[in-house]
Formats: sequence, C-alpha cells, structure tokens
Amino acid sequence: MNPSMRSLRLYLSNKTYVVAVPAVTLLAMVVVSVLIALVMGIVVGLPLPAAAEEGFRGNLGSLTALPGFLVSVGALAVNRNFAMALAFGSTRRHFWTGTALGFAATSLVTAAAAVVLLALEKLTHGWFVHAHAFDVVAMGSGSYLKTFGMTFVLSALSLFLGALFGTVYRAFGTVATSITAITLGVVLMGLVALGVWQRVRVIAYLADWGLWAVVAIIAGLVLAVAAASYSANRLATF
Amino acid sequence: MTPSATETSGIRIQQLHKSYGSLEVLSGLNLTLAPGHIYGLVGPNGAGKTTLMSTICNHTFHSGGTILIDGEDPAENAAVLQRTCFIHEDQPYNDAFSVASILKVMPNFYPDWDEALAQRLVSRFRVPVERRARKLSRGQKSAFAIVISLASRAAYTFLDEPYLGLDPTAREIFYEELLTDFGTHPRTVVMSTHLIDEAADLMEEVVVLHEGEIVLQADVDAARSSAFVARGLADEVRAFALDREILSERSLGRILSATIRGQVTADDEDKAAANRISIEPVSLQDLIAALGIHTLTSALTTENR
Repeated sequence: MNPSMRSLRLYLSNKTYVVAVPAVTLLAMVVVSVLIALVMGIVVGLPLPAAAEEGFRGNLGSLTALPGFLVSVGALAVNRNFAMALAFGSTRRHFWTGTALGFAATSLVTAAAAVVLLALEKLTHGWFVHAHAFDVVAMGSGSYLKTFGMTFVLSALSLFLGALFGTVYRAFGTVATSITAITLGVVLMGLVALGVWQRVRVIAYLADWGLWAVVAIIAGLVLAVAAASYSANRLATF
Repeated sequence: MTPSATETSGIRIQQLHKSYGSLEVLSGLNLTLAPGHIYGLVGPNGAGKTTLMSTICNHTFHSGGTILIDGEDPAENAAVLQRTCFIHEDQPYNDAFSVASILKVMPNFYPDWDEALAQRLVSRFRVPVERRARKLSRGQKSAFAIVISLASRAAYTFLDEPYLGLDPTAREIFYEELLTDFGTHPRTVVMSTHLIDEAADLMEEVVVLHEGEIVLQADVDAARSSAFVARGLADEVRAFALDREILSERSLGRILSATIRGQVTADDEDKAAANRISIEPVSLQDLIAALGIHTLTSALTTENR
C-alpha cells in the first residue's frame, strides 16, 4: 500500500468523526434555522410571508456552523494522528499527504451534504415554512455549484487552519502557536482593511465574478495555509 | 517469517548528539545493534533511553552524528521506517479512536500484521476494545502498546518501559508472549526497562545508558558471570574474599552478603563449603547497583576481554 494511503486510512478510521459529524452539523444548523422560523411564525404567521422569507436569505448559519468543529478536527488529526503514524513507522511527508487527502474527503462529503440539503430545502420550499439555510446569498442564492464550491473551500480552509496550528505546535511549541494565531489574525484584519480601503475595486471585482471570486480567494488561502502546514510538519517532532 | 528480519544489517549509530536547548541528552553516543536480538536498554531516569529510541526512529531529530538502519539513514526514509514500530510510554492517541478502530487500521501499516496474535493478546491482557484508547488505564495502555508492538512483526520493534502499570500476571504474559513470538519470528527488539532482573532472562544483550553515553554493552550471561555473591559469617566471608574486590556488602546481624568481583573457581567452592559460606549468582540489577554504572564499565569490559 502507498505510504500516504496508510495515513489516509488512519484519518478515516473513525468515519463518524470525520465524515458523519460535519454532515450532521449542517443538518443541525437546518433544524435551528427552522426553529427560528417557527418562533418568527408566532408573530408573522406560517409559512413565513415574503418579507420575512427575504430576510432569511441573509442567514449565515451555513458559513458559521462548521469552522469551529473542523478546525478542531484538523488540529487533532495532525497532532494525535501524527504521533500515531510516526509510532507506526510513517514518514512526515507521507503522513501529511495522506491526512491532506483525508481533509479533501471530509470537505467533499460536507459539500455534498450541503448540496443535498439545498435540494431538500428547495423541494420543500424552505422546509415547509419558507425558512432558508442553504438557499441563501452567502451560498450563491440556490446555485448547487456555488453551494458546493463555497462549502468545499470553507471546510478545507478550516481543516488546514487547524492543521497549521497543530503542526506549528508540534514543531515549535505553544508560544509559536500563539504567535501564529495572532499573526493570522493581524493578516486577516489587514486584508479586511485593504478591502475596505480598495472597496470600489473590490466591489467591481465581486460584481464581475460574484461568489466565485470569494471561492477563489478562499481557495488561495487554503493553498497558502496548506503549504505552511506542510513546511511546519517537516519539522514536527513527537 | 518476515524475510527482512534475517536479512538486515542492524542499527549502527556513530557520534550521536541530541540536545534540547542547552541540555545535552545524548553526547557522542556510539552503538551497534546486530539484527535479530533482544536488547535491554537500561539506565537511570533521564539517561536518554527514550530519546535514543526516538532519534533512531526519527520521531525526534538528532543534533549531530549518524544513524543507519540496514545501512540507510532512516530520516524520512519510508522503506526503512515502515519496518519500525515504536509505541512511546506516553503515546498519544486520537481522542476519537477506540482500541478496536486502531487495531483495524494496523494491517495497513504493517503488511505482516498478525491479527490472530493481536486478538489473543487483547484477550489475554483483557484490553477493552470498545474503549477509547486515551481512556485506557496506565496498565491497559502498556498492554495495548505490547499488542501493537508484537503483532506488528516489525523488523525493528522498540518497547518503551512496556511493563508500566502491568500487574505481575500481565508482566508474565508479556514475557511469555515475547519469547514465544520471538522464537518463531525473530527480529530486533530494543526494550527500555527498569525491571532489570525481571527482564534479564529476555535480554540477550544489556545496553547501559548513563548521562547520554553508552557505558556498557555486554552479553547478559557474561555480565552476570563477572561477579558472584558470598553469604556467611562476616569474618569468614571477608577471609574468603581475601584480596579480591568486594563490590558491595549487606549485613544482617553477623551474616554478611558480599558481591565479589570475579568468577567462582572449583577451589572457591571447596573453600566456601568448608567455611559454611554459600555461593550464589549475582543478579544483573544487584550487579549494576553494586558497582555503580561508571565502575561497571571498567569491571565488565575487563571481564569480557
């Protein structure tokens, strides 16, 4: 067996954790969205009237539900799985490539789950109460392809961010991990500031490319974070 | 049998240095471990036993020197590292993984994985397979590490104080299973241990590590025959020892138990019998304790020449 496949199998050995939980989390987000709609319905009636339904299209639950969990999955994978893979005779690079494939698998399944939930949402016209969890602006307003792309890159970014923290911790310790987190925060704030400063150009760019521009930017971040994680992993020790 | 276990050239280490900041843990260590033997790695806490095994397996990086396994540098060398198995004494496991899920994935890492042996060991050690690995007790963790290490059939198996937390019955099972499996599937086993006497019958060679250096590497039988214990009335024992070096003494009332350097001759036996002195073999642990590690070096290297 290819050495990278061993670490992929190790990553996937608890499928509930790396495959089912992300999908179930998205389902839970749908349930919460529907519950919110039901509460709103007490006042405005059910199914939600057009104005309330329009407001629901700004629901950001699909963006915020997963990152926390996936960051922890990424961090745990490169920390604990790393120690296990090394104990079982793996090299660092094969561990990383196998685990990165695992991250891709988790992202694919999560994105597929988001598409399935979007389809169900459309089929039931907002879960029978005009609630929106995936048919939202942030996910491409009902586009299956954009929902898939956005969920995939967000999942991958979360996993690789967790992996970056985990590998930096393994390679350089807690202080370096804190410095990395602070640096990433500062860089993120800098990018936001740059975006605000150049808002005219940014808005024009987004107008031309829409959500795909955001997907492309996040994909670029995934590659950058993955490269940093790979470099740190080569220096990680038990 | 794993063919590689008998076709390897072993582990060769030259001038190995490892420092953590200003703390030098391994200082210019030289060591050769021929393939197909069981080695006992002994030494006081902090001597560098785990660090040595970690650097050999590239779990941690060395600061200087060379390590060769089967003539190749193991660093990021998949062909070499996949023939190693080293479960640390404080081995971290993924929080979400059960014992069963880890065992299920092991054949992917070790093509010679012996599932029947793994199941037998799990049963004999009563390792709870459905429990998460990180929730295992100290003894169960040690047992689990033994299960993986033995069933892996890795050509180079490293055991990091494998008996920690094991009760005497479980330790007996470990010794029995190691010897049985080693008999049918010989490979290189390096085992760090503090229970020198208990594990002495397993070891073919003892490697004593002290302050980052190998101060002794000797055949266990040769080491044990380098001294003996004479027990009897204090004056009689001292007279018996004559001009030979008494390495240590233990008194109980008028009875003296002396560890004496050298081998017992037929003349010694006659003399001892005449003076009601009992002659007993010295245990490896007592010998190391009696001599102190630095003295032991000179004592045993002299005996072995």
